[in-house]
Amino acid sequence: MNLLFTNFRLPSLTGSALSILAIGFSLFSASAFGHTIEGGDANFVQAIDGPAPMPFMYLGAKHMVTGYDHLLFLVGVIFFLYRPKHVVQYVTLFAIGHSITLLLGVLADLQVNAYIIDAIIGLSIVYKAFENMDGFKRLLGFELNTRIAVFVFGLFHGLGLATKLQEFDLSPNGLVTNIISFNIGVEIGQILALSAVFIALSVWRTSGSYLRHAFATNTALMTGGFMLAGLQLSAFFLQPPI
Amino acid sequence: MTEQQNTTPPSTRNIIIASCIAFAVAMVVLFTAILPAEFGRDPLGTGELLGLNVLSAEENPFEEHAEIHRTDYVEFILEPFQSVEYKYLMDLDAPMIFSWVADGEVYYDMHAEPAGLGEEYAESFEQGNADRRMGSFHAPFAGIHGWFWENRSLNTIVVEVYSSGYYQTSTVFRDGGDYERVIEPVAE
Repeated sequence: MNLLFTNFRLPSLTGSALSILAIGFSLFSASAFGHTIEGGDANFVQAIDGPAPMPFMYLGAKHMVTGYDHLLFLVGVIFFLYRPKHVVQYVTLFAIGHSITLLLGVLADLQVNAYIIDAIIGLSIVYKAFENMDGFKRLLGFELNTRIAVFVFGLFHGLGLATKLQEFDLSPNGLVTNIISFNIGVEIGQILALSAVFIALSVWRTSGSYLRHAFATNTALMTGGFMLAGLQLSAFFLQPPI
Repeated sequence: MTEQQNTTPPSTRNIIIASCIAFAVAMVVLFTAILPAEFGRDPLGTGELLGLNVLSAEENPFEEHAEIHRTDYVEFILEPFQSVEYKYLMDLDAPMIFSWVADGEVYYDMHAEPAGLGEEYAESFEQGNADRRMGSFHAPFAGIHGWFWENRSLNTIVVEVYSSGYYQTSTVFRDGGDYERVIEPVAE
């Protein structure tokens, strides 16, 4: 990938401090805490007994479209991808990654702490933002293979999805159908959300401000990632066990 | 891949500074806003200052009511294909716990009608066939709340209803008419 930046001057950072804060605060206005399946949806998931592909598909899509942690990561991933072909490549890797762990996690009943997984998801955003800032190449003198990294973080994101589903007593009746439906829904939601993000970024790219603000935008992205990780680690250490 | 020329990669120094700023902003928000608002921890006193502590205040399991509660017991007979309704007049959010037990299976419908709006706004909470239902109920609106029972068998069935709650009166709908039962508070 060709990473291009305008001359980066510090004052431009203070100019975007507001947008950083705006992103940060909007992260937490969406739901009271974390990002889980809530309210009526939770009741539904628990009451269901038998295959219900459409409702689970809907829940999967909803989880993705409203899942700011996944979305921030994907913004980072496609930030410097200009061709739809590359977007498809990366997102496919990500989707394969999270499908594997979502299915295995629920079916094999892997018990992983959801807060830790969500903290790692937050750090995955930090990682991608740092990479977009060219940090690995210029600071650490090496480059991670971004395709492998996206795949590996896909595995973690899938584990996160699995922990959300495992919080409920899912009926073994129709479980496989329901999880596959949920997964298909996740992909549909991802395509919907990504299309919107890609279009928005493409429009932004036509104006000269894109590259000028690329560095600040990724700083904001990194801030969001740190905040999510901090939130989840706080929950891990402070939340009373249920 | 792209055509912009007047761009140079960010300097190492700027990457470090930006990363530190990102981390610092995240930690400031975490300690000043997120910890007080989400977890009720207020290490810097900012939760108190900004009034964020209210967001993590736990819901009090105790809920006060202004009146003394009432308690009710009824026993009635349903001949084959006879039906009856018992409804309590309750305010919004008034709770009630109940058990009804029959000596045979009856059709039941637990439902409520908002005060002053009549039958077309009735809301049903649970229907089915059973010989008993036990539960607790929180009135979703002010109005009359209760059950419709129908004996769809060929046997005579006795139904007993036990309840306690913050209701004022009970209305019985039977044989096309209705009458009010006055239920006294448990103490006065």
